[in-house]
Amino acid sequence: MTTMETYWEVQTFLAYEARLLDEERYTEWLGLFTEDAHYWVPGVENRGRSDPNGPYAPSRMAYFDDTLEDLRRRVVRFTAPTAWAEDPATRHLHVVSNIEVERAETPGELLVRSVIVNYRGQGDIDAATLYGRREDILRRVSGELRIARRLVLLRHAVLPAKNINTFF
Amino acid sequence: MSGMNDELLALSGLDDGWLDRRVFWDRDVYELELERIFARCWLFVAHESQLPKPGAFITTWMGEDNVLVVRRRDGSIGAYLNSCPHRGNRVCTAEVGTARGFVCNYHGWSFGLDGGLTGVHESAAFGREPGFDRSRLGLTPVAQLDTYKGLVFATFDPGAPPLRDYLGDFAFYLDVILDNDEGGTEFAGGSIKSVLGCNWKIAAENFAGDALHAGWTHASGAEAMLGRGVPDLGAEDAESYHVNANGHCWEFNLDGVGNAATLGDPRVMAYLRDHEKRFAERLGALRARMVGSISSVNVFPNFSFLPGQNTFRTWQPKGPHRTELHTWVLVNRNAPQDVKDAWRKGAMMTFSPSGVFEMDDGENWELATRSNAGVVTRKQRLYYGLGSGTAIEHPELPGNVHRGQINDANQRAFYRRWSQLLRARTWDEAAS
Repeated sequence: MTTMETYWEVQTFLAYEARLLDEERYTEWLGLFTEDAHYWVPGVENRGRSDPNGPYAPSRMAYFDDTLEDLRRRVVRFTAPTAWAEDPATRHLHVVSNIEVERAETPGELLVRSVIVNYRGQGDIDAATLYGRREDILRRVSGELRIARRLVLLRHAVLPAKNINTFF
Repeated sequence: MSGMNDELLALSGLDDGWLDRRVFWDRDVYELELERIFARCWLFVAHESQLPKPGAFITTWMGEDNVLVVRRRDGSIGAYLNSCPHRGNRVCTAEVGTARGFVCNYHGWSFGLDGGLTGVHESAAFGREPGFDRSRLGLTPVAQLDTYKGLVFATFDPGAPPLRDYLGDFAFYLDVILDNDEGGTEFAGGSIKSVLGCNWKIAAENFAGDALHAGWTHASGAEAMLGRGVPDLGAEDAESYHVNANGHCWEFNLDGVGNAATLGDPRVMAYLRDHEKRFAERLGALRARMVGSISSVNVFPNFSFLPGQNTFRTWQPKGPHRTELHTWVLVNRNAPQDVKDAWRKGAMMTFSPSGVFEMDDGENWELATRSNAGVVTRKQRLYYGLGSGTAIEHPELPGNVHRGQINDANQRAFYRRWSQLLRARTWDEAAS
């Protein structure tokens, strides 16, 4: 269990993070991660229940399997004036819900579970909606919450979209 | 087909560099593609490494037909329609896994790894039925299945030429990526699937020959991974080529590592550098310089890959305006694990739905397809005229060889093969 104050702080942090992504403030968003962060969105395979290999694994393909340096590279592409597909701008919406906060194994870290819904409107009528569950490890750095680890488990075996030009 | 369609399918303006837009839009053209291309050509269905032991299976698509590809008890590979011969339900609903057999959820009919019917629910009732013959009620197998250096291909057409003939002179080029190391290749773990609102041919022809888009569409991705744009590729003295055989297409230059460099990983570059000599011993000096170079490939009709990034993919048709993209990552089996991991991560970072290169392709392809909804727009032909007069004879390179990778020669060859197959009633007609 954590205090109401901690829960409130985490919820405010995640809502702020979502707004940074909605507003494409990617450089500020990168500032929310620890230097040793791992950001992982594995591909999800449609496997049988009895299959011991499970729907995802570190050794398999992933949409993101990133260090902070990898995330920085992606932001270079997003913010390049030659990213033609970003103009006109994508209309992002990140909805964060079902937030649960508990103490993580490492003292001073929090295990935060949440549900993410990401809607993107593009061009005139293009739209895509992606759904997933997140598991974050948040750590305090100089008193501020930072994301040390994020796992996003998308609910899609076939991604119902042409790309993922956003983060979760 | 109607007279109008005969004219359309002939693509009469192609040699002059013009393409009829209806090939991307018309439903009757699409249905004919399913019959005369996807139900007849050799299609990529698996890498052998995805089927490591008896019982290992994947499900995939051949056209819009769902197919179950299985390693059988004797070690051979079988492929069957994933549809129960009783009421048609799928017999396997997972995309990958290991099984002793397959049981239909509907009425409990079960099938062995060889596709044969092994059991039925309420067997007494069937046993009393004089016309019931289990041997005639197995899963429908593909007509032919064969492998080429780790890649498994299948065709529904018993009259299709052998796989080796279907690949023809293109096998010489495939060895650049499939046979540059004595240990052969394997797929890294997993696969990624996504949906594009485009005609499958727009994606296939992009990989067949469109080096032109690399420097423009992907300027921002190159900035992210290389810290600079893609260099101009079209200088008159550039040592680069469009080559094609039987509609299979490879565009490339001889820089050796230009594609691989975009992965931004020193381990991959070191691996390529350390193995340069070995590549040359196996492939000769010229092909050794193609292993990771700026290049792209499409094996007719819908199987593409990028040397260097080693992304392998199929463009699965889902209607004239929709394509399901399946991607895998190919690595050399004998490469160190950290190099394999670097390749898997790098391929995803560059060419996957979230890749900094690939994410700029989808919109172009979707809008290039969708524009043709307009009946007036659809009547405007598209320009495919680049590189007329670039055909050359080359002392080492087989097939049809064209000078210069900024070219439309491969795209024209792709559509010429398409036209040939759609008009032919038999493989004999298509070959002539």
